[in-house]
This record gives sequence, structure tokens and C-alpha cells, in this order.
Amino acid sequence: MMSGLIQLLNNHGISHEVIIKATFYFIAGVTLLFALFVVLARNIFHVAVYLAITILGIACVYLYLDAEFLAIVQVLIYVGAIVTLFIFTIMLTADIDTGSIRGIILRVLVSALVSLALFFILVRVIVMTNWKVALPGNLPIDLPQLGKSLMLDYALPFEVISLISLAAIIGAIVIGKAEKK
Amino acid sequence: MIPQSHFLLLGAALFSIGIFGVLTRRNAIGILMSIELILNAANINLITFSKFSDNPDGLGQIFALFVIAIAAASTVVGLCLVISIYRNSKTILINKINLMKW
Amino acid sequence: MVNLAHLIPVFPFLAFVINILIGRRVRRYSALISILGSTISLCLSIYTLVWFLKGSGSYTLFKWLILGGISLNIGVIIDPLTCMMLVVVSTIGTLIQIYSIGYMKDDVRFSRFFAYMSLFMSSMLGLLLADNFITLYIFWEGVGLCSYLLISFWFEKLSAARAGMKAFITTRIGDTGLLVGIFILIFSAHTVYFSDLANLSAASPLLTAAALLLFCGAAGKSAQFPLHVWLPDAMEGPTPVSALIHAATMVAAGVYLVARCFVLFSAQAPALIWVAYIGGITAIFAASIATVNNDIKRILAYSTISQLGFMMIGLGVGGYSAGTFHLMTHAFFKALLFLCAGSVIHSIHTQDIRDMGGVFRKMKITGLAFVIASLAISGIPPFSGFWSKDEILSEILRKGHPFLFAIAMVTSLLTAFYMFRLIFLVLFGKPRTEIHPHESPKVMTVPLGILSVFAIFVGFVGSPFMNHAFQKFIYLGQSHESESMKPDYLVMALSTLLASLGIGIAYLLYVMNKSILPQRIRRHFTLLYTIVYNKYYIDEIYDFLFIKPSIRLSRLASRFDLGVIDGAVNGVAWIFVILSRISSWIDRNIVDGTVNMIAKIVGLFSLILRRTQTGYIQTYLLIAFFGLAVIIFIKLIGG
Repeated sequence: MMSGLIQLLNNHGISHEVIIKATFYFIAGVTLLFALFVVLARNIFHVAVYLAITILGIACVYLYLDAEFLAIVQVLIYVGAIVTLFIFTIMLTADIDTGSIRGIILRVLVSALVSLALFFILVRVIVMTNWKVALPGNLPIDLPQLGKSLMLDYALPFEVISLISLAAIIGAIVIGKAEKK
Repeated sequence: MIPQSHFLLLGAALFSIGIFGVLTRRNAIGILMSIELILNAANINLITFSKFSDNPDGLGQIFALFVIAIAAASTVVGLCLVISIYRNSKTILINKINLMKW
Repeated sequence: MVNLAHLIPVFPFLAFVINILIGRRVRRYSALISILGSTISLCLSIYTLVWFLKGSGSYTLFKWLILGGISLNIGVIIDPLTCMMLVVVSTIGTLIQIYSIGYMKDDVRFSRFFAYMSLFMSSMLGLLLADNFITLYIFWEGVGLCSYLLISFWFEKLSAARAGMKAFITTRIGDTGLLVGIFILIFSAHTVYFSDLANLSAASPLLTAAALLLFCGAAGKSAQFPLHVWLPDAMEGPTPVSALIHAATMVAAGVYLVARCFVLFSAQAPALIWVAYIGGITAIFAASIATVNNDIKRILAYSTISQLGFMMIGLGVGGYSAGTFHLMTHAFFKALLFLCAGSVIHSIHTQDIRDMGGVFRKMKITGLAFVIASLAISGIPPFSGFWSKDEILSEILRKGHPFLFAIAMVTSLLTAFYMFRLIFLVLFGKPRTEIHPHESPKVMTVPLGILSVFAIFVGFVGSPFMNHAFQKFIYLGQSHESESMKPDYLVMALSTLLASLGIGIAYLLYVMNKSILPQRIRRHFTLLYTIVYNKYYIDEIYDFLFIKPSIRLSRLASRFDLGVIDGAVNGVAWIFVILSRISSWIDRNIVDGTVNMIAKIVGLFSLILRRTQTGYIQTYLLIAFFGLAVIIFIKLIGG
């Protein structure tokens, strides 16, 4: 899909590199903007929608990292399942309009300071480290290889995850079940 | 192409935003959503390292898959807890729930 | 000229999106949106046909995925079969949508209906254009989904909801076969493209299995024995749905799949024979049920199954052009039959043919169209069904399958009989109950008229008069031996004779003597009649073989759970209770004393520390993150 689009644009004289860079920074910007909305917006229902958009943006970022399968999984599980669950829960619980900033200015200020501090520390680490440049020969990891290592090399973690999912389902049913009166 | 550090910066920014959300949201569901942001930031880092590593065996991607699966499971349980808290105390505002202190 | 074929499914899909999103606001106009989408598709289909005739062909759009060394390019296949089907599907679809304006006029979910219809059109057209198995499968499932949505469209009726479920689950059995077949094909031939199938000419057991599994999918969709049970029940849906999905196009998807993979099948002789015999069994089996059924739509449904069996025989004996030709003509006259039935039902609100009669006097146009369609399906020259049915019959004979030929002959006799039983009972005679038929509105009769014209004349494109133009067209690009095109006058005469005989028997039974003879049949063939009347008890057999045992198995499992496992657990629990009684005594008197003392000391300290604990989780988190920041900061500074 991506490559087809890029080919199309290439034909109009725009170089590959420029398109990829421009779209990446655009997507990253949009993702961050909506992530900010997620933590700042007042209506919790809107927050769920913003979260969905953020997650779609992140899925696009995965495409730049040659992780097409993960992008699909991201969209399927996050947007398809998790955000839907969030929306269900919001509908089941009534407090929709609950802002985050009202009343507790001090808490918010301190929180902002702490998160900014963490962010700048991380930025410092990232900038200071001497990262390798991407090897041009690195092939994208193809799906069968991923599937094989999931089923052979990491079979045990995989099964454990299945068990955890099952436990989560059963736990959710038990916790969420209405008590008999 | 896009350098590795830019992906990591994106991850760091998302992580910080998520932490801010966890610290300031009053709605329990909002906190859970912010946690999703943090997990996604971690996933971006995992996949980035996987792509830029010398030995691209896809381990990072597999790890990210596991993270997604765990995130889904934890969200399910978390949301269920939210519902049952709501059922008991008719609110999901975190500053009205201080069960941690008796 | 420009490649526009890939846009064909896009417009109905847009119509679907618009209707599903803002259908409630646009109300009546949602029909216009859908029809507009289909009409654009129709124009594009004709354009593609012309474009193809000028010598162009399939093309690739873009690369999608790499799957185990196979790079999957999304492309569009354009060959005679696709062009023919595109035009047929979009023509019939558009006409039926126009008809639906009248039929669904008072329905509360008017726009929803058109949204689904458009989605269906889009999936079906996409299925026809798919150039590989993966995209075909995606659209195949899309078609199945729409079928489910539309069959249970009136989901307030329990029977409709059940029928939708039945259709979905039954076709799912076939779909699973199809999917496994695709996997085998990828595994053994390393290809998903239809264009590569021609290279697989060597017979191999694995490829035979693949072909049979593909046929399993086709049998599910095309309601072939033993997966036919869903189609009669699917008549619970609105009649235009029955016409579009369960007569003209969707069930054609299965036949289309077999035709599309025909080179694969013809290389695997055993698979091809299976196709032919399954088709034969289905044809005669469904036709016999149709002769005793009393529901106007179900008769047509069984007739559809029977005709699909006919196409499968045609393809199975190697008559590629004969099968596809019948596919095309059948699409027209079966759509027409269903629309006529819908028109009758719309006017008198019953589906039981025993309650009808004498409708013709009040509904001239519908009646005329009904008769035309029945003549076409019975195979009376010069109507379209005659040419295609004759083509199949002579093909069977030429390939030397006397048994199948006999089955096909009996089936065509039965076809003529049950169609005219329907005609005589519904249209002629005196009304048997209080019914007040009236002609349907123009918006319904005009599509009937157009389809009638098709039902009469569309057969000529494959007749000797036009030098078998259709057969020559459809064979373009197919490499195997061409079927001989000499008209077989003996077969023609024989099939016409049999069809007339069927009509004659129906006339004798239902016009001359109509109340006595069915009784007499019942007396002489009571057992046979009961078996056939109850559809050979297939539903009951399935119920007994699959549904009941699975319910019983789950009951057994639950009882095992309750009795054995719970008992064991309880026993263990009981032992633990005794043990814990003992330990609790020790606990209370010895351990607690010590613990309490420690606790009191701790409690004293806690009174002081308690002040820092607010009980708000976010405060704790804030402190934790603050600590984290400080630790990393110190680490950075320190080295």
C-alpha cells in the first residue's frame, strides 16, 4: 500500500526520501498532539476517541519501522478491542464530564514538573548516546519468520500469555458479575 | 532516512505525556487510558531497537506483541475493577476513592 | 483507454458508507444513492467489457504483502468470464435495487436495506475482479456477511434470525474447506494467482485434495448437496434479497469459483467427476423436493439449488462454456422469477400457493413475466434457458456420461413440472381463499419488463443462430480443447419433448383435475410423498447427527464437572478444613500472642507514619515518579 502510494508520488517528481520524512514528522506531530488531548481533554468520551487516533498514529509509525504486522495488530487490538472496551465502560459508568485540572492546581503543577523532568532526562540520554546508523542491508522481518519464532523459540512465553489472557477473561467475568441479591 | 533517535524521542514524549495523564486524571478510566499511552511508548522503543539492531531477528517485535497482549489483558481486568468500584461506590473519580487508607 | 475496472466495486461501497452513516437523514433518497452507485458500476462494467474486447487485460494495482516468499500484488483480473459476470451482476443488481424501492416502501429500515444491498454488490463485484485467492477469499467472506445481514433483515421474526444463523454457519463449513484448499495450494504450488493455475497441469493427490476443498467452498456458497440446507431457509429474507443473493448472484459465486479454477479442476480428473456427480445428485434431489413444496419462494429456492446443480454437472463433465452459459441465463430468469414472486407476495401477502389462484386476471404484467420466466427455466425454445440447458445436456452426452444424462433429463422433466404446477396454482384457476390481488407499482413492473426481455433473448448469444458467439467469447484465452459447437438436434428435440411433457402433466394434475389427483398421488405414494415433502429429512438428520450430539456432549461434560470434579474438590476441601481446625487452635493461642505484641509495637510507630499516607493513589505515584527522576538524574551526573 505504502510503496504503491510512494511510487505514485515519485512519478510526479517528488523524491522518496522527502516524502517519507515529511509524512513521518507529520504523523509523529499529530500523534503527540492527540496524546496531549488524551491527558488534557475534559470529556472522557472524547478522550477515548483521541486515544483511538493516537493509537492509529502509532500504528503508522510502526509502518516506518518495517513492522507491518504489528501495525495491523495494533489497530486490531487497540482500536478494535481496547478502545471499544473503554467506551463500553464509559457508557456503563456515568461520570462523563470530569476534568483533570479543576481544583487541584498544585498537584497538576507538580505532576507537570515531574513529567517534564523525566522527559528532559530521557531526551538528554537519547541525544548524548551515539546511536548506530541504520544498516541499509537490514531486511524487513517477514511474517512467516515472526510466526515461526513465536511458535518455536518463544512457545513457552506465548503459552503463558494465553494463560494470562484466559485468567483475565475469567477474572473479568467474576469481578464484573452482578452480585445476586 | 529517519534516524533512530527521532523514534526514541517520540517514544520518550509519549511516555512523559502518559505519566502526566496518570498523575493528573481524576477519572479512573482516564488513568487506564494514560497507561495505554505509556505502554505504547515502550512498544515504539522496542520496535525501534529491533529494527536498528545488528541482528534483526524480530525479537523486539515479538516482545511488543507480548506487551500488547498483556496490555489488553490488564485493561480488561482494570476496566472490570472500575465497573465493580462504580457499582459499590457510585463513582469512579479517583480522589473520592481512598480505600488505600482505612 | 484508462484502467477503470478496479473502481467498479468502489462506487457501491461508497453508497454503502453514505447510507449506513447518514441513511436515517436522507431516508427515501438512500435508494437513489444505492442505485446511483450500482448504475455507475454497470457503466464501468460495460466499459470494461468493451475495453477487454479491444484487446486489453488484467493489470496489477499495488503490492500488498510478502507471505512466505509469495509477494501478494493486488490486481484485477479481466477475462471473458469476469467481464460476463460483471455485466450480469451489475445489470441484475441495479434492476433489483430499483424494484426494491417499491417492495420495501414501508419498511422501517429502508435505508439500512439499501446500505446492505450496496455492500453486497460491492463485495460481489470485488470477488469477480479478484485476481488471486486471498482477495477472492476476503470478498467471499464479505458476500457471506451481507447474506447473513440480509437474510435476517427482519430479525424481529425468530425464524428469520435463525435462518440467517443457519446460512452463516452452513456456508462457514464450506468456507473452511475453501480456506484449507487455498492453504494447500499455497503450500504445494506456491501461488495464489489464478493466472498460475494453468501451469499446474500435472495430476497430484495434493492438488486433487486442494481442488476438492475449493469445491467444498463452492458447494457451501452455491448450496450443493449436502450443504444446501441453508438456501430454502434463506427465503425468510425480503424477496428482492432472495432474488439478488439467493438466486442470481451470490450462489453464482460458487459456480464462478469452480469456473475460475476450471483449469485446476480439469487437470485433476477425480475432482472434476466429483463436481459432476455432486451436481447431479443436487439437481435431481432439489427438483424432487420442489415438486411437492407449497411455499412459492421455497419452490423457487429449491429450483435454484437444482439449476446450480445443473451448472455443476456442466462444469464437471468439462463443459466450461456450457456451465458458464447456463450461469448467465439462469441469473436473468431466476431473478425474474423471484421478482415476480415478490410482486405476487407484495400484493396478496401470503406465500402459500394453496391459498392463491387466479392472480393472472388482476396482475397481467407480473403474470406475463412469470410465464416467460417459467418457460425459460423449463427449457422451451426459443427462451434463454433452452439454449443453455441444451448446451449442458449435449455436453454430458458427448463426454459419455449416460447416467448423468439420465439424471439431467429427469431433472428437466421435473423442472418443467414444478414450475408449471406453480404457474397453474398461482396464476390460473379460481382464488382458493379471500385474496385481493392488484398490480404492483411501475417501479416494480418496469424491472420485470426489462428482465423479461433479457430472459427471452439473452439465450440467443449462445445459440446456433448467432454462431455460438458466447461460447467463442468465453473460450478466449482458455487453452484446452474447444467444445464442439455442432447443435445436437436429437438432444434438443428430446429435452423440448420432456419439458412439454412436464408442463402437460402439470396441466393434467392442476388444471383438469386439480383437487383429486394430488390426493390420489398421496394415496399411492404416501411414503415417497412424505419423505420428499419433508425434504428427505436432511434437516432432521443434521439435527440428529450434529446438533443433538454436540448439545448432549456439552451436557455430559457439565455433569462430569459437577459430579466428579466438584466432588473431588469438595473432598479435598473437607480434609483441609479438619487440618485447619487443628492449626487454628495453635494459631490462636500461641502464635497470635506473639504477633499481637509485635503488632502493638508496629502500631505505635505507624501512628506517626500514617500522616504521610493520604490514601490517594496518585499521590503515591507522583512520589514514585519523582523518585525515579531523581535517581536517573543522579546516575547521569555521577557518570
